[in-house]
Amino acid sequence: MGNKITKIFLNWRVLLLVTLLFFSILAIRPNIFGTEGVEISSMLVNSSVVEAGLSNPASKILPTARERILSVNGEETNTVEDYYAVVSQLQANRTIRLETNERAYTFLAPQSSDGEVDLGIKVREASFSNLRMGLDLEGGTRVLLQPVGGISEEDLETTVDSLKERLNVYGLRDIVVRSASDLSGNDFILIEIAGVTEDEIQELLAKQGKFEAKVGNQTVFFGGKKDITYVCRSADCSGIDPNFGCQQFDAGYHCRFAFQISLSPEAAQHHALITKNLKTISEQGGCYLAEDLALYLDDVEVDRLRIGCELKGSSTTDIQISGSGAGVTQADAVNDALKNMKKLQTVLLTGSLPVKLEVAKLDTISPNLGKEFLHNVMLVGVLALVAVSGVVLYRYRKVVIIFPMLLVMLSELVLILGFAALAKWNLDLASIAGLIVVVGTGMNHFIVITDETLRKEAEALDWKTRIKNALFIIMGAYVINLGSLIPLFWAGAGLLKGFALTTIVGMSVGVLIARPAYATIVKILLEE
Amino acid sequence: MFQKIKHIYETKYKLLMIIPLLLLVLALMQIGFQYATTGDFVNKGVSLKGGSTITVTKELSISSSDLEKSLQQQFPNVGMTVRTLSAAGQTTGIAVDSALQDSTEIDALVDTLADNFELQKADYSVEVVGSSLGENFFRQMLIALVFSFLLMGVMVILYFRVFITSLMVILAAFCDIVITLAIFNLTGMQLHPAGIAAFLMLIGYSVDGEVVISSRLIKRRDGTELQRIYGALKTGWTMTQTTLVAVIVALIFVQSEVVKQIMLILLIGLLVDTIVTWVQNVGILRWHLEKKHKSSGQ
Repeated sequence: MGNKITKIFLNWRVLLLVTLLFFSILAIRPNIFGTEGVEISSMLVNSSVVEAGLSNPASKILPTARERILSVNGEETNTVEDYYAVVSQLQANRTIRLETNERAYTFLAPQSSDGEVDLGIKVREASFSNLRMGLDLEGGTRVLLQPVGGISEEDLETTVDSLKERLNVYGLRDIVVRSASDLSGNDFILIEIAGVTEDEIQELLAKQGKFEAKVGNQTVFFGGKKDITYVCRSADCSGIDPNFGCQQFDAGYHCRFAFQISLSPEAAQHHALITKNLKTISEQGGCYLAEDLALYLDDVEVDRLRIGCELKGSSTTDIQISGSGAGVTQADAVNDALKNMKKLQTVLLTGSLPVKLEVAKLDTISPNLGKEFLHNVMLVGVLALVAVSGVVLYRYRKVVIIFPMLLVMLSELVLILGFAALAKWNLDLASIAGLIVVVGTGMNHFIVITDETLRKEAEALDWKTRIKNALFIIMGAYVINLGSLIPLFWAGAGLLKGFALTTIVGMSVGVLIARPAYATIVKILLEE
Repeated sequence: MFQKIKHIYETKYKLLMIIPLLLLVLALMQIGFQYATTGDFVNKGVSLKGGSTITVTKELSISSSDLEKSLQQQFPNVGMTVRTLSAAGQTTGIAVDSALQDSTEIDALVDTLADNFELQKADYSVEVVGSSLGENFFRQMLIALVFSFLLMGVMVILYFRVFITSLMVILAAFCDIVITLAIFNLTGMQLHPAGIAAFLMLIGYSVDGEVVISSRLIKRRDGTELQRIYGALKTGWTMTQTTLVAVIVALIFVQSEVVKQIMLILLIGLLVDTIVTWVQNVGILRWHLEKKHKSSGQ
C-alpha cells in the first residue's frame, strides 16, 4: 500500500493537482487563528484621519491585506461594536491616537455638523480570508440603473465615473460601479455597495443632479467642477444656518442649512454681468436686488435667496448656498436638513449626469441575512456531502475508492475558490448555484470514472483504455455543457454571469485537472 | 413483477416511448392552459414581472394570513401576499410580495412593518424590480435558452459525429425543461430568476446521463446491446441517486427561499430526466441501432 501511495504522489496528474491546490490555499489565505482589530472599509475624503495620513483602502487590495484598527486611545477594538463604543466616548478637539496594524496616527477629534464626534471611518469585522463575499452573503445594496432614452458609450462612461465620484463623497470606496448590457443592446449601470447603506445614497444615485442657479431666466452657474471650484463641507462653514436655525410649525419643525462655495472666475464674471443691470429695492431696512437667486435641482426649485445690493455687478467668487429640511420633531428636521445639504453638496461637487436614470432593480440585503445564509449553506453542504458519501459507499462498498473521491471533490472546490480569490470575484448566490452544479456534475463524473474502470465488461480491457473511455464521456459532457452556458454571459444585464462563470471555471478545473487525477488514483489503487 | 417489468422494458421499448411523449403532451397542455388563463406560461415572481418583496428574518407574533389581512386593510389598493418562510420545519420569517415599485410607497410599507414588529434595519431585506426589466429579463432568458440549445446541438454533433445523438440530447433537455415547468406550475409557486438558473442546471445534469448512454451504446462494442444499456443504467442511476439525496437534504435544511426553489426544480427535473433518459432516449437509440443493423444486414 505504501508503495502505491508513493506512486500516486509521484504521478504528474496528482502532482499538478496538489501544486495547484497549494497555490489556491495560498491565494485564499484563510485566517484560521482569527485576526486582531477591525477592518477599515471606507472613510470620508476630507476627514482629519485622512489628513493624518491614513489612506482610503483601494478596492483592488486583497481583503486580508487591508489596514486594521487595533486600538483607539489605547482601548482595543476587536469587534465593530468595540470600535463604535470607543468612538462614542471621544470628545471633540482632543488628541486621538489611532493604532493600526501598519502604524499609529495622531490627530484632533473632529466635530461633525450634528455636533457629535465622527472620525469619518467606516469599519467592519476583519476579513477571514481573501474570498470576497458578494451582496447576497455579506449584505448590502445592489442598484441596477437604466438610462432613459438612448445613451452613447462616452456618456455611459461619464455617468459611471460621476456615480463613482458621488459615492466617494459619501466615503464609500469598496463599491462596484460598472456598465452592463443585455442581449437586446440595452445599457445598464450596476452598482453594488457592501454593508448597510443609507437611504439617501440610494435616492442620490438615480438623480440626474442637474443643478442650476438662476437670476430671472438667466443661468448664473451650474453644478460641477467647471463653475464651482470649492464646496465647504467642514463644520466651520457648513451646517444648520445659525441666522435662521429651526422653527416650529403646525405640523412640526423646519430647519435651514447653509454652506459656502467658491465660484470659478468665469462664473463670477457671469454673475457680475447678469446682476449689473438689475434694479435695487429696499425691504425691512435692507437693500436687495429686484431678482432673487433661485436654485434648481433637476428642474425643481429648491431655494430662493435674496441678493444684497453690495453684490450688484460684482464678480464675487464666494457664495452661500442654503436650503431646508423638515420633520415632526426638531431632531428629525435637523437630520433632514443635513441630509439635504449633503445631497446638494454632492451634486455641486460632482456635477450633473449626462442622462436621466431610472431604477430598474433595487435589492437591499440585510447583513444578518447574508451571514445566516452563509452558515446555513455551509451546514447544508456538509450534510449533503455525508448523504452523498453514504450512497456511494453503499454502491461500491470500497472505502479505498470513496476516500480519494471525496478528497478530490473537496480539492475541486478549493481550486475554484482559489481562482475566485485570485480573480477578485464576488461570491454571490448565482456563484453558489454554479458551485452546486460543479459539485453535482463532479460527483457524476467520479461515478462514471469508477464505473468505467470497475464494471465487468471492462475487465477484458487494459487500464489505459478504461480510463480513455471514462475521459471520453467526461469530456463530451463538458463540451456540451460549455455550449449551453456561454449564452448566459449576456442574458439579463449580466445578472447570471456569476453563475455561468463559476460553472465554466469549475467544470474546466474539474475536467482538465481534478477528475483525470482521480482516474489515475483509482488506477494505481486498484491495478493488480 | 420485476422480471415482468424488465421483460417489457427490453422488448416493448417502442411502446414505452409513449409514456414520455404523453407526459410532454400533458405538460404542453398545462402550459397552454396556464398561458390562456393568466397570460403567462409560468407563474412569474416579483423579480420577473416587476414589484417588490420585503423579506423579514425574524419570527413575528402574527400568522401570515392575519398579517396579510391587516396589510390589505392598511394598503387597500395594493395586491399583497404574505408567505411564511421555514427551514427544517421551523418558521424563520415572512416575505411580503406586492406590486409596489415606487420607493416612497415601499418605504411606507417597510415603516408599517418596522413599527408594528419593532424591526431593525438588519432584520429585513428589500428587493424591487421595475416591470420593464422583469419582462426583458424573462424574454432574454428564453433567447439565451434557444442559443444554449443550438450550441449544445453543434457541440454534440462535433463530438459524437452522429446526428441522432444531437437530436436526442436536445430533445431530452427540451422535454426535461417543459415537463418540469408544467409540474412546477402545478405547485403554484412563483418563479424567481434563480429558478431559471435551476432549469439551466437541469441541462447540465441531463447532459451527463445522455453522454453516458450515447457513449456506451454508440461508441462501444463490448457485450450485447442490452448489457451495455444495463451497464449505463447502473451508472446513470447512481448519478441520479447521489444528486437526489443532496437535493433532498438541501430542500429540508436550507433557509433561503431562492435556494429552496432551485432544489425543488432540480428534484422534479431529475425525476423527469430519469424517465426521459431511460425510456425515451434509450428507445430512440435502440430504434436507430436496429435500423442501422437492418440496413447493414441487407
